[in-house]
Amino acid sequence: MISITGRIKESQQKRVLDEAARKRRQRKALEALESDNFQDDPHADLKMSKKAPKFEESINEGSMNVKKKRKSKGEFKQRYRKNFASLLEEEQLQNKDPPNYFSAAVPPSSLPPRHFCAVCGYPFYFIQFSCGARYCCVRCLGTHQDTR
Amino acid sequence: MATLVLDNGAGSVKIGFSNEKEPRIIPNCVSKAKNVRTRIFIGDQIDECKDLSGLYYMLPFQKGYLVNWDIERQVWDHMFGKDCLQVDFNETTAIVTEPHFNFPSVQESMNEVFFEEYQFKALHRTNASALSQYKWEKESNDKHLCTLVVDSGYSFTHIIPYFKGRKIKEGIKRINVGGKILTNHLKEIISYRQLMVMDETYVVNQVKEDVSYVSLDFNEDMNIARKRGKENTIARDYVLPDYTHIKRGYVRPTDQTTGKAQGNEQIIRMNNERFAVPEILFHPSDVGISEMGITESIAHCVQGLDEEMQPHQLGNILLTGGNCHLQGFKDRVYKDVRCLTDEDIDVNVSVPDSPSTYAWEGGCLLAKDANFHKKMVVTRQEYEEQGHSICEETFDV
Repeated sequence: MISITGRIKESQQKRVLDEAARKRRQRKALEALESDNFQDDPHADLKMSKKAPKFEESINEGSMNVKKKRKSKGEFKQRYRKNFASLLEEEQLQNKDPPNYFSAAVPPSSLPPRHFCAVCGYPFYFIQFSCGARYCCVRCLGTHQDTR
Repeated sequence: MATLVLDNGAGSVKIGFSNEKEPRIIPNCVSKAKNVRTRIFIGDQIDECKDLSGLYYMLPFQKGYLVNWDIERQVWDHMFGKDCLQVDFNETTAIVTEPHFNFPSVQESMNEVFFEEYQFKALHRTNASALSQYKWEKESNDKHLCTLVVDSGYSFTHIIPYFKGRKIKEGIKRINVGGKILTNHLKEIISYRQLMVMDETYVVNQVKEDVSYVSLDFNEDMNIARKRGKENTIARDYVLPDYTHIKRGYVRPTDQTTGKAQGNEQIIRMNNERFAVPEILFHPSDVGISEMGITESIAHCVQGLDEEMQPHQLGNILLTGGNCHLQGFKDRVYKDVRCLTDEDIDVNVSVPDSPSTYAWEGGCLLAKDANFHKKMVVTRQEYEEQGHSICEETFDV
């Protein structure tokens, strides 16, 4: 009796991910592949001290020159500060006839996707796991359950 | 009068004057080191940094397009300035590359920066593939009607068909897989299977460049990688740098490959990772990117062209870009394209000796062309009189 309730409990704990959740995970994984850095900026906690001497600007440089440069830089920033998403949006709004950025993308492959063991990377031989990952042997299944 | 050739890649910049033999290859980023808190490293200043572990990157490019101008201008200032090339802007014409289907607002800011801020004498904006194609055409012995340029770089891979020296815009195809994704994926699988290296983009990129290769028979290589002991001819031990005794990582010779670390060193065991990572270029679906791979895209691209043109394109495929340094890349492209085409069509695949600087060399050659200064550049005076429109008319990008 005890063992049966134990099993029910266990099966309830093992959440089976639905299609949407799997897609979400997939998207996150793809975003991670595009990221520049995994860690945080190591200098983020640096505090700029006003008292610290500034070495950048030499005394010889005319003060006029410096002012002009700063101003143009400020204007420039405002006009062209666009990230990739807003550039794409702009491109979409302009609605240019193909060929354009969107039409140049290759379509999905006509070949069926290949599957690999999520743990060791070899071609998979066994069943789909409840979260959609695949595995090739009992050992890898164990590792998978322990870690992911 | 000098001409400066600037192949402005998202991963690295290839820059030099057109009379020079080789470009300087400068990482297109500003990096911060974990243990050096007093300064940042702009571009190749990173060579001055002794401890390259945990480098933090600030990149001007996002998905292959220039978005972070503050960073880019820091890199350019450094390259044009007294520490590097000492450009005399008033007397210099610049040849600058940009990605295919670059966004108009990026192009406009490009014009502005080069004419108004740096005040170059004249400017020619183009695509790297156009420069590669130009050089290839000029230097090949027999004349080709068509060239199919495959440019596989840091952010993505483009396939660009050329006909009589002009690109066929409708035929250009883009696969969103490049060297960056390969490195990031390798980081992930090493971190999960062996050792946490998610922070070590710089080191893992070196691992990738040192030991990975493109497999010519994927399934067979998978079978070999499964084997143990001497039968496994794929596994390698990669000794990681510690930046005190070992300044750079290296592959241990095959006869000493045991899978065990010696002394205090840390090793990564590279087995199926060696070829499974570059495989993403040929099967993006392996990591869940639902796109065609390079060879399938080549076939797809060629099929969209005029039927008469198809054999000419397949007979003259030129591979360029950093990923071509991967061992086996060319043979794999040939093998797969050969399988996908009819028997009676000739397939030729070529890789130049230095695939990553080939476009830069093409730029140097173009600077010597009789037509270049007359027809292909926009001078600062013209820009000041007619603005962006003259640039749009003159440059075929």
